[in-house]
Amino acid sequence: MAAMGKRTLKRPSLAEHWFPALGIVAAIFGYVFLVLPSLIVIPMSFGTGSELVFPPRSYSLELYRQYFQESTWMAVTGQSVKVGLATMAVSLVFGFSAAYGISRTNFRGKGLLTVFLLSPMFMPHIAMALAMYLYLSRLGLVGTTFGLVAAHTLVTVPFVIVTAFAGLRYVDRNLELAAATMGAGRLRIIWKVVLPLIVPSIIVASLFAFLLSFDEVVISYFISSVQSETLPVKMYSSIHWEISPVLAAISSLLTVLSFGACVAMSLLQRNDQ
Amino acid sequence: MTETMVRLEAVEKSYGAVHALAPTSLEIARGEFLTLLGPSGSGKTTILNLISGSVAATGGKIWIGGRDVTHLPSNRRELGMVFQNYALMPHMSVFENIGFPLRVRQYSEAEIRKKVHEVLEVIRLEGYANRKPKELSGGQQQRVAIARCLVYNPDLILMDEPLGALDKKLRDQLQLEIRRIHRTLGVTLLYVTHDQSEALVLSDRICLMNSGKVEQIGTPDELYFRPRTVFAADFLGDSNILDVSVVSNGKQAKLTTRSGFQIEGVQTSLSAPVAKVMIRPESLIVAEDGNKEPNTLTGLVEDITLAGGVVDIQVRLDNAETINVRRLTTRDFRATERGRPITLRVQPSDVVVLE
Repeated sequence: MAAMGKRTLKRPSLAEHWFPALGIVAAIFGYVFLVLPSLIVIPMSFGTGSELVFPPRSYSLELYRQYFQESTWMAVTGQSVKVGLATMAVSLVFGFSAAYGISRTNFRGKGLLTVFLLSPMFMPHIAMALAMYLYLSRLGLVGTTFGLVAAHTLVTVPFVIVTAFAGLRYVDRNLELAAATMGAGRLRIIWKVVLPLIVPSIIVASLFAFLLSFDEVVISYFISSVQSETLPVKMYSSIHWEISPVLAAISSLLTVLSFGACVAMSLLQRNDQ
Repeated sequence: MTETMVRLEAVEKSYGAVHALAPTSLEIARGEFLTLLGPSGSGKTTILNLISGSVAATGGKIWIGGRDVTHLPSNRRELGMVFQNYALMPHMSVFENIGFPLRVRQYSEAEIRKKVHEVLEVIRLEGYANRKPKELSGGQQQRVAIARCLVYNPDLILMDEPLGALDKKLRDQLQLEIRRIHRTLGVTLLYVTHDQSEALVLSDRICLMNSGKVEQIGTPDELYFRPRTVFAADFLGDSNILDVSVVSNGKQAKLTTRSGFQIEGVQTSLSAPVAKVMIRPESLIVAEDGNKEPNTLTGLVEDITLAGGVVDIQVRLDNAETINVRRLTTRDFRATERGRPITLRVQPSDVVVLE
């Protein structure tokens, strides 16, 4: 036996050694290249005066003051919050009901139905915007808040469903069977057993839905009117008329909001496991 | 006196062409402890699922407490269920878990408090009301799960391999606990396990399942001493199964083993010329060498092992059959050496002719 000797593992070749390092460098470079422009907006937002420059000549909160004091900006922000909250509520109800129903039953065409419900994720927003515009104009809902919420819900529901599926997978089916044998009806099981166990998924899905709606510009641009204009739409159109430096302040606020939500979501998902 | 609590009438379950359960009829009396015993895929879990209502029967009727529940959902069958993985609500305290079925039944807050504390006393976990399930050991969690069933006094408690996730020592402890609870409270219990010794210890009756059918049903004694089939003889306890030829007068038979030994005076109504018989290892008696009484078998000791309180001796009979013998351990058991001739005697009443 000993005469056969012992094979040792080969030393990693140079390529094997350097490949991961190269990958990391490329990733860092890519991120910096993509993220930096959005971060540059932040120092710019603390500039003064009436033009967007980097680096700012002097620092102040002037642009933030302008944003918070101008009633048109406040009105569209309010509208965005309203649409975002409504979209969040509607898509939570639809999304979690769909995910629960699909994950707890077996029927023919279940896979097909799931793909169908998730399909808006794979649709180009511009195509959806046009379709929604044509459809809602038939119903006379173009330019209404209701129409906006309906269209946004279409975008957010697939994300809510995916999040709900992930949460429901960790709920032991025996818990539901145990509750049922103890006499609990379906509603009580959902309310007292299932929902308390997927609170983290519900919060993540809510943040997701709210941010997607709050951020959405393409569809909103098509189907909002002056009365129902949302914040991103107003920002987009104001770029056409005047490159207002206030945009830098709003962008910074939105970046911080999204970043905060992402951190919250990842913390919740970690707690979940 | 013996009131029927559960009745299955030709209940069956098939998935397409696959029969998970052939039409099966079964009765459980009030206060009885019935165990469904069998290997995996034998249909024991299918019966449990059909009774719990988590699976719908493809035929037959199920009665619980005098009601036809065949088409009722789980939550209206008045059942309790204990699972292998405990299935306690992780977000509720022990108190809330046990109180859950009472809240469903709209008991008052005071009644709930009283009943939960009574039942916590029964399972000896009085100080644990405010703990969360994950702060308890596996054995404690399973006791809470049992308490959660006891507290609302359901018609039938189902237990699905409740000791399967516990280590041996806890398993033995909880086994005794379940037996005590059953005896003192007189609940009706349907217990599923693949562990034959668990079934023997706990049950009033055992229903032995094999490939989707009831193989044999009876008291532990009946199944142990009078198994009807090779499967039953083999699954419960240790056994020697021998091929014999039969000369019968309709009541008694003379058997001849393949190795040529004869056993006379065996009670059987079987008239086939050949059969299989079972002899338990502990019913073979080691006789003095050369003692030529009737019903003796001779051979050579092939192996001898100390298994604690008993010694297992493997004997090769004169024509190639091997047979296992079990004796209580004595200090001088090594005197029976490998390769030595040995003489065994068997009582005709200990020989069971199988179908």
